[in-house]
Amino acid sequence: MKLRILLISIAILMPGCLNVELCDESYDSELVARFKTEKEGETADSTVSSLTLYGIRDGLPDSLLYNAESVSSFVVPLDPNQSYSRFAIQIDTLSDTLTILHQHEIYLISYGCGFGSLFFLEGLSAANGGLFKRDSILEKMIDAEYESNEEHIWLYL
Amino acid sequence: MKVMKNISGCISRTLLLLLALALFSPLSGQDTLRTFGPRFGIDLARFIYIFAEPSEIGAEVSADFEIYKNIFPVFELGYNSISESGELFTYEASGLYARAGIDYNILPQKDRSVHHSISVGFRYGMSPFSHSIENVTVSNSYWGDYQPGRYENSMTGHWAELVGSMKTEVLPNFFLGWTVRYKILLNADMDPLMIPELIPGYGTGGKNRNFGFSYSILYKIPLVKK
Repeated sequence: MKLRILLISIAILMPGCLNVELCDESYDSELVARFKTEKEGETADSTVSSLTLYGIRDGLPDSLLYNAESVSSFVVPLDPNQSYSRFAIQIDTLSDTLTILHQHEIYLISYGCGFGSLFFLEGLSAANGGLFKRDSILEKMIDAEYESNEEHIWLYL
Repeated sequence: MKVMKNISGCISRTLLLLLALALFSPLSGQDTLRTFGPRFGIDLARFIYIFAEPSEIGAEVSADFEIYKNIFPVFELGYNSISESGELFTYEASGLYARAGIDYNILPQKDRSVHHSISVGFRYGMSPFSHSIENVTVSNSYWGDYQPGRYENSMTGHWAELVGSMKTEVLPNFFLGWTVRYKILLNADMDPLMIPELIPGYGTGGKNRNFGFSYSILYKIPLVKK
């Protein structure tokens, strides 16, 4: 009888019978850029009065990412099929082409959500050089799990 | 929204426990002598798992021997494989595994000829296995989906187990018994790109701790009687 009680107890204490894995989130690896100004060696946040931004996609029509006013930062997806991502950027009346160089790997997020992109920033450049005085990379790695305080690059106006 | 439902084999484990309850009819000792010899077993739960988890197949055999009073060195050998094909990728893993350890019988022996046991013990487990993934799609709505080639990796998983078991001699030298296992993975970072969905003998590599269950039928070769 004691054996039976023990067996029944263990059966009740067995781990849960149903294991459900859900994936209801979007996992995009996106770069966060913030505008900055620099005066007498001191860096401060900056806001542009208008920003228009397109991704330059090989073989595909350019597609608008931003057309907004009073912008202090922007978030853009990177191209997993190339070692670079190019963007046509217009701030007020000035325009330029911003090229971001990166490496790309994939990693498993979960079996429900599949794989995500992992980008490693290697450099960035503006084609005309007239829009940004300089730039800096703060965080080289961009994964698919976005956090609200993430910043990857600063663009100095 | 992408939803993947993975129903574990817990239902079948519960059914097996009920079966164990039904079959428990301890054999009373008629002889005062105790038999010794190697005991070989096969894990029946593995066959039931196939119905609960059709993508996963496996088999396991075991051997133990009462080398000293109440002390049973144990060796277990098995095979596990999984094949899952989904919307985002196709995953396969397979390999052999082995466990070695010791069980200690804590059931007092009032009658030496009775071989029932309630044991606690430990195991060290290892599994050289490979896993692969193909037909991967990394979604990117703006630039276009990324579809890398097939990825495959071979590695060895290591883990430790704390074990509790109960075995009942239902016929002379024939035993039915179950084992519950608390498993601790020792090398979780064996593949940084892709966590193994199945480490044979251990379970999912995404968990550093796992539970396991075996339900076995065993036969002891009565070599010595004393």
